[in-house]
Amino acid sequence: MDNEFVMPWQSLSSGMAAQPADLNCASKQSPDCFFIPNWDDSSTDQGGRFESALSSIVSSPPAPCSYISNQSVLIRELIGKLGSIGNSGEASPHSLALSGNAAATVMPYIGGSNGTNTSCYSTPLNSPPKVNFTTVDRVVKERFSSVAGFTADPGFAERAARFSCFGSRSFNGRTSQFSPNSGELPYKPNPLMESRKFQRVSSSPSLKALGSQAAATVQQNVNSGLSDRMELTNSNEESSVSEQIPRGENGLKASNEANSRKRKAAAKGKAKESAPSTPVANAMKVPESNDNPSPKRCKPNEGDENGNGTAKGEDDAKGNSTKNDAKPPEPPKDYIHVRARRGQATDSHSLAERVRREKISERMKLLQDLVPGCNKVTGKALMLDEIINYVQSLQRQVEFLSMKLSSVNTPLDFNADALMSKDMFQPNNSVPCPMFPLDSSATAFHGHNRPQSQPLPPPLQGHGPSGTATQVDQLNLGPCHNVESHLPHLNDLQYQNFCGDDLHSIVQMGFGQNSNQETAFQHQAFHG
Amino acid sequence: MAPEDPVTVSPPPPPPPPTPSLKTKIARRFVKSLAEVWTSRKLATEGGVRKRARRIKIAAYSSMARAVGGSRRAWSRALLAKLQGRAKRRCHLRSQRCLGLKRKRAGSRNMVRNEVSGSDKLRRLVPGGKAMDLCNLLEETSHFVQCLATQVKVMQSIADRYSV
Repeated sequence: MDNEFVMPWQSLSSGMAAQPADLNCASKQSPDCFFIPNWDDSSTDQGGRFESALSSIVSSPPAPCSYISNQSVLIRELIGKLGSIGNSGEASPHSLALSGNAAATVMPYIGGSNGTNTSCYSTPLNSPPKVNFTTVDRVVKERFSSVAGFTADPGFAERAARFSCFGSRSFNGRTSQFSPNSGELPYKPNPLMESRKFQRVSSSPSLKALGSQAAATVQQNVNSGLSDRMELTNSNEESSVSEQIPRGENGLKASNEANSRKRKAAAKGKAKESAPSTPVANAMKVPESNDNPSPKRCKPNEGDENGNGTAKGEDDAKGNSTKNDAKPPEPPKDYIHVRARRGQATDSHSLAERVRREKISERMKLLQDLVPGCNKVTGKALMLDEIINYVQSLQRQVEFLSMKLSSVNTPLDFNADALMSKDMFQPNNSVPCPMFPLDSSATAFHGHNRPQSQPLPPPLQGHGPSGTATQVDQLNLGPCHNVESHLPHLNDLQYQNFCGDDLHSIVQMGFGQNSNQETAFQHQAFHG
Repeated sequence: MAPEDPVTVSPPPPPPPPTPSLKTKIARRFVKSLAEVWTSRKLATEGGVRKRARRIKIAAYSSMARAVGGSRRAWSRALLAKLQGRAKRRCHLRSQRCLGLKRKRAGSRNMVRNEVSGSDKLRRLVPGGKAMDLCNLLEETSHFVQCLATQVKVMQSIADRYSV
């Protein structure tokens, strides 16, 4: 039986010629036959490691093919983990190439070997999972905690194929698959929701001790039903357990220990140790604008607690979800978990920078809605200029209106309450028109500001030099007021103060809007 | 109700607005302070337009800051502090009459103007903006702009009603 398995493997990888043969003779279900320990050595080159891994798989004796598809799925998962490990930078960088090679070589093979051959893979991966885990390095464990889930799902093959390069991403799919232990389970968002629910449930303060990544992965594993992340039991058991929410607690404890251990080993740059429940919460956070299976590098910079990032389908098993930009209320835990996007720097500084930049751009968008006429403007500098102009114009309007209001003598029937009610119920209270579009606003308000039913205010006293000024004022206020543009208004007040007679004559000359404006401007030029 | 008088049927009082919106709050406070200014005999007689305009402007800003709940927003806190500080300073200045101080400050401001950037300008415009990072500054700006626009609307409607 061994020969059957060895040959196809050998045909796959050229570099693996020697080792598989040797290992075939080795103990079959040796706990160390799992290739993960081989990775840790990293004494050999990439090919060597991969060879040893494959050989370990191959060497195991054929077990009953109860988990046929599982094996291929498992292998793919492992390969994915390889890639993720390598990418995350914690494992040896070789694993990246390894994963590439593995994926290239094994995947097609696995796909083709869904038949009898898969049985050979089942045993090493299935049977001694516990032992394997114990021997795995802490770092690797953190990454591959999901390996525990390998045993569960026949549908893994599909998902593993999809997310070959994402170790963490596949977690979600796996966990979802655990509960419905049916055959080929295509990737469904609903199961993910369940798993996410589990995550939500388990994201309790008790998880505070967990590291960011570890917590999420562990949590997922727990949610998927693994009582102990380190222990793999029958997949059926897992699936049944995964349905139970309270399991989260067990898993939490287990994961706590594991994570605490892991976190010491996997100390990332920033102070993520202190990230309490944030990593867990982050596990539920929506990965930022990402549904596509781009390999996300989890960079737990700081934890931003947000319990509602469940909209998206996939969540990082490592528990780092990108900061959800749409969450204005910053929770008390001021850590923000950010995930680096594909092709972007994973440096903690750059990630923090990106978070900051995204916050700023989000706020700029809000401002864009508030400031009229900003839709066409793009770019931070121009937007800032527009905003500054708008704020300045608003302040100028306040000043002008206060001057206008001060010039209004106390109306005889001034009633605060009546004023208030009328204020509220006016259908279109004049919108503060910016200084710029004078013409449009003027025409718009011309009809609106017809003289009110209120009697004209008593002649302004102390403003005009002569009695005629008051008449001029009233006359002036009427037509000019209809214009509803502020420059002429300003000029009005100044006229009242300075030039009553001249104004009178000028006003009588032309009563149209435009002429008034023109005269106003001319007068302004004269007396400005 | 019982005696029907077609001529003098008093319209039912308008129902109060269901929820006190920002505009309502601002309008209420502003109208109160405006009434104060209008009915204050001291202001009406002396000084004239400018003093009253300044008082009304102060009233507008303080009503705006208070309507949002004085200390809830950074800009409202800074605004109220500035107004109170200015009031105190005005008293001191009036008593001491050191106008030279004002002129000096204006001069220094003119010299620096060319070098300011967009965000610095914004910081100067928004009360309390000097001590914030850009992110918070933008958030405060958006809220400030909202309230300022509402305040202008309120003032505009009042001005429309009382000035023909």
